[in-house]
Amino acid sequence: MFGLNLDITGELAAFFILAVCAITGAVMSLNLSRVIHSVLSLAFTFISLAGLYVLLGAEFAAFVQVLVYVGAVTILMIFGIMMTRQDHESQERPRPLTEALAGIGCLALFGILFFTIRGTDFPAPAGTLPEDNVGEIGRLIFSGFAIPFELMSVLLTVAFVGAVMLARREEDDLP
Amino acid sequence: MTLLGSYLTLAAVLFCLGLYGVLTKRNAIVVLLSLELMLNAVNLNLVAFAKYGMIPSLTGHIFTLFTISVAAAEAAVGVAILIVFYRRRVTVNVDEFDELRR
Amino acid sequence: MATVYAAYAWLVPTLPLAAFALLTAFGRSLRTTGAWVAITASLGSLVLALLIAGERLAGAEDYSQSFEWLAFGTATLHIGIDVTSLTSLMMVIVTVVGFLVNVYSYGYMRDDERLTVFYAYVQLFLASMLGLVLADNLLMLYIFWELVGVCSFLLIGFWYHKPEARDAAKKAFIVTRVGDLGLLIAVLLLFWYMPGHALDFSSISNVFGNDGGTISAGVTTLIALLIFLGAVGKSGQFPLHVWLPDAMEGPTPISALIHAATMVAAGVFLVARTFPVFEASPEAMTTVAVIGAFTAIFAATIALAQNDIKRVLAYSTVSQLGYMMLGLGVGSVVAGMFHLFTHAFFKALLFLAAGSVIHAVHTQDIREMGGLAGRMKITAWTFGIGALALAGIPPLAGFWSKDAILAAALEKDPLLFTVGAVTAFLTALYMSRLFYLVFAGKPKDGSHAHESPAVMTVPLVVLAALSVIAGFVETPWYGGFGEWLTGESARHAGYLAMIIATAAGLLGLYLGWLIWQKGTIDRKALAARMSGLVRVLERKYYIDEFYDLVFVRSLRGLGHMLRRFDALVVDGVVWLIAATAQAVGRLNTRMQSGQLQGYLLAAVFSVVILVLAMAGRRLW
Repeated sequence: MFGLNLDITGELAAFFILAVCAITGAVMSLNLSRVIHSVLSLAFTFISLAGLYVLLGAEFAAFVQVLVYVGAVTILMIFGIMMTRQDHESQERPRPLTEALAGIGCLALFGILFFTIRGTDFPAPAGTLPEDNVGEIGRLIFSGFAIPFELMSVLLTVAFVGAVMLARREEDDLP
Repeated sequence: MTLLGSYLTLAAVLFCLGLYGVLTKRNAIVVLLSLELMLNAVNLNLVAFAKYGMIPSLTGHIFTLFTISVAAAEAAVGVAILIVFYRRRVTVNVDEFDELRR
Repeated sequence: MATVYAAYAWLVPTLPLAAFALLTAFGRSLRTTGAWVAITASLGSLVLALLIAGERLAGAEDYSQSFEWLAFGTATLHIGIDVTSLTSLMMVIVTVVGFLVNVYSYGYMRDDERLTVFYAYVQLFLASMLGLVLADNLLMLYIFWELVGVCSFLLIGFWYHKPEARDAAKKAFIVTRVGDLGLLIAVLLLFWYMPGHALDFSSISNVFGNDGGTISAGVTTLIALLIFLGAVGKSGQFPLHVWLPDAMEGPTPISALIHAATMVAAGVFLVARTFPVFEASPEAMTTVAVIGAFTAIFAATIALAQNDIKRVLAYSTVSQLGYMMLGLGVGSVVAGMFHLFTHAFFKALLFLAAGSVIHAVHTQDIREMGGLAGRMKITAWTFGIGALALAGIPPLAGFWSKDAILAAALEKDPLLFTVGAVTAFLTALYMSRLFYLVFAGKPKDGSHAHESPAVMTVPLVVLAALSVIAGFVETPWYGGFGEWLTGESARHAGYLAMIIATAAGLLGLYLGWLIWQKGTIDRKALAARMSGLVRVLERKYYIDEFYDLVFVRSLRGLGHMLRRFDALVVDGVVWLIAATAQAVGRLNTRMQSGQLQGYLLAAVFSVVILVLAMAGRRLW
């Protein structure tokens, strides 16, 4: 696909292994019968992605990925599973038409993306990333991206207030 | 020859898998999970371009951080809604979430 | 000489037309009054036609009157009347026979409950026929030609309760249609080629008569043959003769009027009217003569083996029309028209007499008749006179006209003359067979035949008188008819034709007498020995079966196929459209389900299609 003029570097090998792990985790998360297993395999995918970020020199991003996704989102989902009864799984009637159509749509989309990627001539990068990620990111957040940062905090506040409001039990629901 | 194309392809694969899950899965939790997968694929794209794009800079990383935050917030709200819905009609089957029709 | 009455010639067809309108409007309330209206109208036409003819005999010139009907582009279509010797002669024939048939029908059709409808149709027919005769251009003639065909259809199928009558009417119309198509194409060709798009007969005779060369020989022959095709259809020549015998399903007065005297003569009239075209094309003339001669002998042989009195007379008509065509084909308009003139009278006489017989014995099969001469004297005598006239026995009318044709044929081509002579023999033979089987011998037991009322017998007597004297207008010594008609001087040919024709006729009568009256030659033994031949003749050489196989079946099969195609494909397309709309509706109903995932699926597809549409080319 990329021609065989690629050296077998360590980077390539690492990428390959992590990519396989990510895809495996994703596919299994879709196909496992019990939801809790799906969540766990998706967590595996998240970890592989963090590894990929490290490979791309984005250590801070990898750190945040593990912290937030694996740590928080996965647990959130598990809470969601715990609070809802999940024993309806076996009664689902199969919907072959929808699945087939969805498969076709996704394949088509993938085809478009793939052919676009293959057909594009990416120019060589003009420079390199700075070595010290964390410091640089910090500097950028508080200088160039200050406003989005503040907005992000507002968003998070709104989100958790909203979640609490939504999930609050009504007075008459109390035992 | 950089690995940019490979990273982008991987991201595309993950995105399409996530999309398939969103469109097909019956369990609402799994739908939310697939949604998270899609967002992750986007993040991977961003970070890959940050390193291998035309002008490598840390903007990609910062964007990723913001995306992760938004995704987390959205997951929280989504699960909250799911729990509320579960209380009304004791099911997590997406097929039965069709009250918009009426 | 001044033309006083000719100016009123347009009244001649209009009077029957007015009668038709009255009868159609008030028919329900009048019954016998309706008949009198019809008879009066036709009497009026008769008187006027006789006056016009008399005027022309005294030497008046041609009179014509014409109106512009439709002008488009460079061409104009006209309507008009043309009073010449030929047309005034035809007018007299049509009105005389028409009037007599009207009177006769009063007795014959008296018990029919649709009497006024019958009379209305007859008047319409008379109006159309007279219009055809008077037409001054070919297009107008064609219009009336078609009208006459319609009236024939209506009248043949008059007793529409009988399926045979319905079938016969359809057959007549369809077969003549084949001929009419030829005539139409000829009219179109003439319209195309004639200078100034003129279609009137005087222009035609000018263009074709001067050996003009304005129109090429090939086109001229084509036009002549197509006109003849129209005549073949209408006059029942081979191979379009099949409708005439079946047309006998109609009431007998109709057979007399239409299928003996007038409508079938329209073909002969057409050829006479457009004779300059034929004169300009020797090949067409030969075709006319050959087909006429062949038809004459062909139909005469079939008539020998028929058992229905009207069918014998029908085939006799076909045969005599062949004679007329033969006369025209060998170049003598006088001979052809003369025979038309005399034939109208004695054939109408024969048919009306046959009708009288049928009215009395209620059957048409001659094997069930016999010995009627004693009970029905007037009918028997008049029928006998008609039969002798037809057989060409001097000094009756048929002899002179047949002689004119045979003499002209002898001059042109001895082979044609031989055919004509043999046909004369056969004609005498089958007529004597008919006469002896119907009138001679002993009456069948239990028959209560009686003579018909005066209303029916008086026309018979009139026609019989005409059959005797009408021939004297044109004899080898006195050519008054010929001179009047075309300006040709009286021809005085040799006596050879006359002698041979008379001998053939007498021989036929004698042979008939031997077989059917005296019984000297046992007809049963004769029939047994020639049973194969008899069967072929009786089945009319199996021509109807042949047409059925070749034309009718294939067309019907084609019709079935097309019907199937229509039901499957055309209706199928319509059904498909409706079904598609319904299916799309159902599909959309499913998409409006309230299911989020369905909506998302649609969104994904839309994005994919959008991207492909916008940037598809660049992806490859």
